[in-house]
Amino acid sequence: MAKEVVETTEQNEDSNISPSGLRVFWIEILRDKLALGSLIFFVLVTLTVFIGSALLDLDEITKIDPLSRFLPPSSEHILGTDTGGREIFGQLIYGTRNSLVIGILVTAMSGTIGVLVGLVSGYFGGHTDNVLMRVLDFFLILPFLMIVIIFVSLVPKYTITSFSLIMTAFLWMGIARLVRSKALQERELDYVNASKTLGTSNITIMFSHVFPNITSIIIVNMTLSLASNIGIESGLSFLGFGFPESTPSLGTLLSYATNPTTLEKRWWVWAPAAILILLLMLSVRNVGEALKRAADAQQRRGT
Amino acid sequence: MKSNKFYKLLVAMLLVLTLALVACGSDDEGDAEGTDDTSKSEENGEDDGEDTEEPVDKGEEILSQFQYDPSNTGEPIEGGHLTFGLVDDDPFEGTLNFNFYSGAPDAEVLNWFDESLLSVDGDFLYDQEGAATWEHDDSGKVFTLTIRDEVNWHDGEPVTAEDWEFAHEVIGHEDYTGPRFDETLRNVEGIEEYNKGEADDISGIEVIDDKTLEITYKEATPSLLAGGIWSYALPKHIFGDMEVADMDSSDEVRKNPIGIGPYKVETIVPGESVTYTKNEDYWRGEPALDEVTLKVIATSSVSQAISTGEVDIVNDFPADQYPDNEDLSNVEFLAAYDNYFSYLGFKLGEWDFDEGHVVENRDTPLQDKALRQAMAMAIDGDIIGEQFYHGLRWEANSIIDPGHRLYHDPTWEGYEYDPDAAIALLEEAGYERGDDDFFTDLDGNEMSFNFIAQAGGEVAEPLAELQIQMWEAIGVNVELYNDKLYQFNDFYDRVGNGDEEDDPNVDIFGGAWSTGSDVDPSGLYGKNVRFNFARWDNEESQDLLQAALSEEAFDLDFRKEAYKDWHDLMVEEVPVFPLNFGLEIVPVNKRVVGYSLDPDSDLFRYDIGVTEEEPQVD
Amino acid sequence: MWKFTIRRMLIVIPQIILLSVLVFVLAKMMPGDALTGQLDPDASQESIDNIREKLGWNDPWYQQYGNWVVDLSKGDLGQSFTYKMPVTELIGQRLKNTVWLSLFSVILIYVISVPLGIISGRYNDSILDHAITGYTYLGFATPLFIFALVMLWVFGYHFGWFPTSGSVAPGMEPGSLEYVMSRFKHLLLPSISLALIGVVGTVQYLRSEIIDTKQKDFITTARAKGASESRVYNRHILRNSLLPIAAFFGYEVVNLISGTIFVEMIYGYPGMGQLFLEVIQLRDYSVVTSLVLLYGIAAVVGTLLSDITLSIVDPRIRIK
Repeated sequence: MAKEVVETTEQNEDSNISPSGLRVFWIEILRDKLALGSLIFFVLVTLTVFIGSALLDLDEITKIDPLSRFLPPSSEHILGTDTGGREIFGQLIYGTRNSLVIGILVTAMSGTIGVLVGLVSGYFGGHTDNVLMRVLDFFLILPFLMIVIIFVSLVPKYTITSFSLIMTAFLWMGIARLVRSKALQERELDYVNASKTLGTSNITIMFSHVFPNITSIIIVNMTLSLASNIGIESGLSFLGFGFPESTPSLGTLLSYATNPTTLEKRWWVWAPAAILILLLMLSVRNVGEALKRAADAQQRRGT
Repeated sequence: MKSNKFYKLLVAMLLVLTLALVACGSDDEGDAEGTDDTSKSEENGEDDGEDTEEPVDKGEEILSQFQYDPSNTGEPIEGGHLTFGLVDDDPFEGTLNFNFYSGAPDAEVLNWFDESLLSVDGDFLYDQEGAATWEHDDSGKVFTLTIRDEVNWHDGEPVTAEDWEFAHEVIGHEDYTGPRFDETLRNVEGIEEYNKGEADDISGIEVIDDKTLEITYKEATPSLLAGGIWSYALPKHIFGDMEVADMDSSDEVRKNPIGIGPYKVETIVPGESVTYTKNEDYWRGEPALDEVTLKVIATSSVSQAISTGEVDIVNDFPADQYPDNEDLSNVEFLAAYDNYFSYLGFKLGEWDFDEGHVVENRDTPLQDKALRQAMAMAIDGDIIGEQFYHGLRWEANSIIDPGHRLYHDPTWEGYEYDPDAAIALLEEAGYERGDDDFFTDLDGNEMSFNFIAQAGGEVAEPLAELQIQMWEAIGVNVELYNDKLYQFNDFYDRVGNGDEEDDPNVDIFGGAWSTGSDVDPSGLYGKNVRFNFARWDNEESQDLLQAALSEEAFDLDFRKEAYKDWHDLMVEEVPVFPLNFGLEIVPVNKRVVGYSLDPDSDLFRYDIGVTEEEPQVD
Repeated sequence: MWKFTIRRMLIVIPQIILLSVLVFVLAKMMPGDALTGQLDPDASQESIDNIREKLGWNDPWYQQYGNWVVDLSKGDLGQSFTYKMPVTELIGQRLKNTVWLSLFSVILIYVISVPLGIISGRYNDSILDHAITGYTYLGFATPLFIFALVMLWVFGYHFGWFPTSGSVAPGMEPGSLEYVMSRFKHLLLPSISLALIGVVGTVQYLRSEIIDTKQKDFITTARAKGASESRVYNRHILRNSLLPIAAFFGYEVVNLISGTIFVEMIYGYPGMGQLFLEVIQLRDYSVVTSLVLLYGIAAVVGTLLSDITLSIVDPRIRIK
């Protein structure tokens, strides 16, 4: 499930670009047709599922109809029905929206925590750094999947928010490490020392000086994490620790494939979700790779 | 799980759980290709609840589509080898002794190499066909049990009365942590004193000679004859020097188990498979097979395993895979009534830990039995059986399941699906609809209930949602508790088997019981039993259940009448109501003979044989 | 060097202690216990309460933790309630299976990814490279469990080439050649599934590493000196790029952990992952805690191994 995309970005060289560098990102995407296509696809899907789920009635989608179980696609049921006689199509719309929300939430929250920890740790260094890094090391050795499963069995009410919080708790380390190593380098630079002697507060230096200089690397990293976080819920659902079917998700649809008959003869139940996850992950990744190239190039030119 | 005589041996295991076990509802997933034709729900909508048609026994109708016995009636070949599939997604636990095991999969492993000393007939009553015979005195309390001379352990040692006594002493010992020291065993005179350490031995058990044992029970009830005797000996020459606390984890239980059954354990791959060889010395005679292999098959692999002949028989076949496999050319599907019923229940009170009984004290609109009755009418058990279990389940009319032929009566009236009558009943009882079109409670406040359901299998969730929809259709607002299904242990922790209070937010619960040999349901609905999850306290029910266990109840008609009255009371009071009965279906390779699901069959496990060297392949 | 190693090892100890507390507390917080699922209407409440008391489940958690740690120091992980056997023995059986599965998968990952990575890096922008990149590209986005399911269905069910569950065929004599072969056969499909998805990272890493190194100065120098192309690759580029890969061995094992859970579940392979999924539902605490702790220790040791080998291979890391 959660693939370590984070690792690959860490091998990047430094990059020091100012926010205006964001334009470089944009230019790179425009130049790279695959990335542009991916971005358009992603935006389209996102719009469709958000508008679609606003228009469709969730109660209607999750209504059980015992007389139309496992119907193949037809004009009446565009993508067929599942074990409860529910429309796959509607579940796909809602499921994709939920998976996207989870992916974005987890990425944003783990990004925020990671950036904060990384900045503080790298900027202050010394004991602060030491303590924070030991905490981080500890989180790194936790057997992710097992701990998450235990947590999932613990929470009384299992919602998108609680799920995202649990995930976040164990996914902030990659970005924290990255930001820390960048911040460590930044703090040695003259401008930081200059600001310090001018009496600028640490917080101001961190957020208005150091942070802007490493935004590009953060953006790249978060985009790539987003790609893997979109699929993150599906693995848990598959193991039986996912959302209830009343909260449609791509993982639930995928997990129907454990039934051998469904896997073999009722492809319409799980295949659309599998393809959609694949496409979403790939498109986000394409964009991420383009951004990474832009950041690398910028950095090469910059130093 | 069972096939008769064969059945009887197996039932012996269930005897233990006199009315035991497990919410199965979730294990047997069932689903069928959606079929648009059948549905009777609409036509029934009109009438007012009185049923004028001739009552048909739905169960019998469904069962009649199947056979109990394989069509193959050939002679078994010499030196046959059979493979038995134990359908389970997890490995078996491997506590391989009847005195210690707890999981049903272990029982499947055990049944090939060990058996009860007493056998039972098709009505779950002890007969004289087992390894031991029995008689009781006039009081019905003192039983004299005689082990046949030819009954030996696999190591050649004879099974003695002392071994039988020893089993009682181990289970009754204060260090014993297995699940067998239950109400049935507590009925042995003096065993409680022994358990508390007040006595050195059990006063009610006396070894008369090598092969004869006399047991005195505190009370004589019809239940005694339906599984009320502990009928598994424990070889004293093997376990005699062991500490009781160490027994269940010993190699003698886990690695080199022995018994008295038709096959001996040869090898064990823990949790995965067991191979057996024939026990030439088996007391009934020589078993028909040379070797038996038992292996665990995951639910998802069952159909593959039977169609390729990888296994000849499985213990249980998932209903949802039946439609895709019924036409396999190499196997035959046999069926019998499953000793099972699923139910829905209402939480009416709580458990008093100090006093050890239920207290029906909950302040909930569900205290109004009219509401409970209406909610029972709202549920269509037949459509669930037809659509989700491919017609292998049907609406249950009573708590007494069709496997208990002496007591089950298909003409007893339960709750027919009738939403209109349900609404009429609610309106008559004074309920009015609120702004959201749901009924409010009698004070006009919004009324909504939490429904807790169990996870497991892909139909569990749609079924729970469907039931909620059915209640919604009569205007009763029910919500899935915390929007999710609960895993087994978590579920029973909340419903009422935990070490703390029942979850106060749970209003309605859905579960299933598999029933044991004794029909007596007081283990589930009595005042001082934990499993009375509804926490329903009803004196009349107590009296009726008592009466059905009294000495008078040795008269079958009297006992049946008592259960009929109890059934009527349950229908009137509805603390819980039955949802589905079902069939167990067993695919059998066409080379297998000597196997039967018939409760009255004369076949025993050692009769099972094969007529060809290799299994047939589809 | 030694200083680094020792410091690294010292960090590990508090980590493991902390992990044990966390795991223990979490496991105890889960609702229900192993007895709530035991439903025998005949069983008296009294005996069940007795069992709870006897097993110490009613004690406060720190007391239970204390007892647990004391036992742990004696090498006793407690008794599994459901399996009625010492946890060490239970896990021992499963551990063997999981270790074989992971080991074999890691070997496969190396066997597959190194050649692919080298080809892809050396002949970058060739058709072959595009094919390999395409594969890693798709492999990145394919959920392991869907892939494993499809593999099981195609090669296990449809063609019937591989067994579809278990770790060994019944009735074999342990130690015999037949037994070993049967185990191997049961291992093959799960580890291939794991490996085919698992190679993605390594292939990508190797490819970009080689492409990077190709343009480095010392390579150009070597070429200018007239070294043959294969010599340049074998002596210079590969040595540089492969060493870190070898050192990643420990990380690779750590990354496999969650993968084995899926694969064991799908292939009905009785390893620790399958055991974990089972005992967590049965609330068999002693097994749950031991398993998580064990996986945690595996992660710690794997990381430690890789950190130390990496520091030998690449001294820059030590300085950091």
